[in-house]
Amino acid sequence: MYYEYLTIGIILFILGVLGIVLNRSNLIIMLMSIELMLLAISFLFLINSVAIDNLIGQIFTIMILTVAAGESAIGLAILVAYYRIRGTIAVKSLNLLRG
Amino acid sequence: MYILVLFIPLLSAILSGLFGRKIGVKGAGILTSSCITICAVVACYVFYETVLNSSPVYLKLWGWFDSELITTYFGLQFDTLTATMLVVITSVSALVHIYSIGYMSGDPHIPRFMSYLSLFTFLMIVLVTSDNYIQLFIGWEGVGLCSYLLINFWLTRIMANKAAMKAMLINRVGDIGLVLAMFMLIREYGALEFSTLYGLCAVESPYRCIICLLLFLGAVGKSAQLGLHTWLPDAMEGPTPVSALIHAATMVTAGVFLIIRSGPLFEGSPLALTVITILGALTAFFAATVGVVQNDLKKVIAYSTCSQLGYMVMVCGLSSYSTSLFHLTNHAFFKALLFLSAGSVIHAVSDEQDMRKMGGLIKSIPLTYTMILIGSLSLMGFPYLAGFYSKDLILELAYDKYYLIFAYWLGSLSALLTAFYSSRLIYLTFITNTNSKKEIIFWAQESPWVVMVPLLVLAFGSVFVGYIGKELALSYVVAPIIPNFTKVLPLLLSLVGAGLAFIVYFTKGRARGVKKGLFDRDRGRGQYIRNIIYTFFNSAWQFNYIINHFIVNNIWKFGHLVTYRILDRGVFEVIGPRGISIILKQFTQNISNLQSGGIFNYALIMIVFTTLFVSGALIF
Repeated sequence: MYYEYLTIGIILFILGVLGIVLNRSNLIIMLMSIELMLLAISFLFLINSVAIDNLIGQIFTIMILTVAAGESAIGLAILVAYYRIRGTIAVKSLNLLRG
Repeated sequence: MYILVLFIPLLSAILSGLFGRKIGVKGAGILTSSCITICAVVACYVFYETVLNSSPVYLKLWGWFDSELITTYFGLQFDTLTATMLVVITSVSALVHIYSIGYMSGDPHIPRFMSYLSLFTFLMIVLVTSDNYIQLFIGWEGVGLCSYLLINFWLTRIMANKAAMKAMLINRVGDIGLVLAMFMLIREYGALEFSTLYGLCAVESPYRCIICLLLFLGAVGKSAQLGLHTWLPDAMEGPTPVSALIHAATMVTAGVFLIIRSGPLFEGSPLALTVITILGALTAFFAATVGVVQNDLKKVIAYSTCSQLGYMVMVCGLSSYSTSLFHLTNHAFFKALLFLSAGSVIHAVSDEQDMRKMGGLIKSIPLTYTMILIGSLSLMGFPYLAGFYSKDLILELAYDKYYLIFAYWLGSLSALLTAFYSSRLIYLTFITNTNSKKEIIFWAQESPWVVMVPLLVLAFGSVFVGYIGKELALSYVVAPIIPNFTKVLPLLLSLVGAGLAFIVYFTKGRARGVKKGLFDRDRGRGQYIRNIIYTFFNSAWQFNYIINHFIVNNIWKFGHLVTYRILDRGVFEVIGPRGISIILKQFTQNISNLQSGGIFNYALIMIVFTTLFVSGALIF
């Protein structure tokens, strides 16, 4: 009965993925896409926990939100450090470690 | 006593080779000469016991290798054949050793030379005394090796190096035949000992003929029969005593020895015997024709050796092995005499070998002239000299085998030519007016006694060996019943040949003096054809050219083009190391190109593979 919301969650996730993959310009967009993916996943967890009437999904969601907060904090910190060194935050220029 | 005959030359070689620096030039000469002389005395004793008292000796020394199929011992066998060969080898070798002291004096490497000579003698003795084919093969390869070392003695000369390599390689062609024959013998008879094989000879085997032909191939290489003879004239690059040792007594006789030793095997294969006779007769004829027009003193004698070896092989093919052995013995004496005398002549005219630049030496070196005359008369088969007893008998035997009358005619023609070139040698070197420079002819003189004494001994040998040995050697040979005229014919031919040589060269010398400037006939067609014929014979029927051009060059080209460039550096390298490394490099480059450095690509790859992983987990 809640399964129509699943589609929204999956679409959001795919949008997040496409945001990472297709994004060539901006590191902030990448972080935002990661946030979007995490939110989409959290959304799916919540829907599932309601759908199967189980609390574990919600507990997971809280944990994911925590992790996401930490992750974006560290990510933004790296970003700032990176910007200080390179003076740009373009993803394209992030290719020094070529194989 | 019997082992001593092997041991003394080895000791001599080792002492002179390893301690040459200690004992010095003179010491090395005296030591090796006395060792080989003692060895010759011992060999005479062996001859006395085994031949005169007819008590062959067989010694098994120790086991060599032992497998399920074949057991081989180091064994010695002293029978008539071995004892005769021993006497020949050691006596000629001893004389050559003594001769070398005088001839090689002034050379800085005399200890090495003496050591090689002794080693050569030792290995030849190993060859003749062995009681099986494998041990014979040691000596067989050993004399090949020593011939390499000796021909190459003046190792700074490029021609000597080339000649030595040629001798070694052409001999190796024959050696392959001997090795294959040994394999076939093991396969067919399961034994390599002569005594066993003689016992098994009655067993009919379809491969008998092949074995015999392979054995004969070995003999062809060693004894310089037609086809593989080209190394022998080139081997004249070595010092003259070496030529005497290699071409008179030892190395080239090894092939004949092998045939005589394998006689019972050959008797079972008429085809092989016919081949032997034909090839021997052809060799005799070929070498005689070539010898006629050679201008190098030593080459004339070398081709005469080749020719005489043809006689020996031919008579082996007529199943008269003892005659062959007898001729071998006589030949060893007079050919050693000829070579050593030639060395003496060369020594007298300041190392000039070209006969055209000699002449008139009869006044300055009469003793050497006498020696070379005795040798040549013996070689021509002059009555009552050594060559007479064996050579004429060979021709008679050839006449007796009517089915190979062809061999008889070739042999008789070679007898004529032999007389011709021997007389030519004597005439051009000694009798005709001199062509050498004044200072050379002025200073020409006899060699020291240490050179002349071996010549004297060999001259005695050349005169008397035939008479003394004929009862021993030919007691089992039934003299063929042939017309008297045929018996006399070889002698007549020899006399005609000798006379012809004198007439031709005498008139030629006269004609050249008279006709000079009168009218120029030399531009005529006749002269042109004569030049062609002369060149053909002078270059030994162009054998070297044919072999080099059609065989050696093609093999070289094949080796470079196919085995080296196409196979080694081509196919194998492409499918081997280089190809694999190129493929791996490409592959790894492609893989590492995946890691482009772009975060988005990593993300995509990660997601794709996570998806695959998850879906895989779902499927399975």
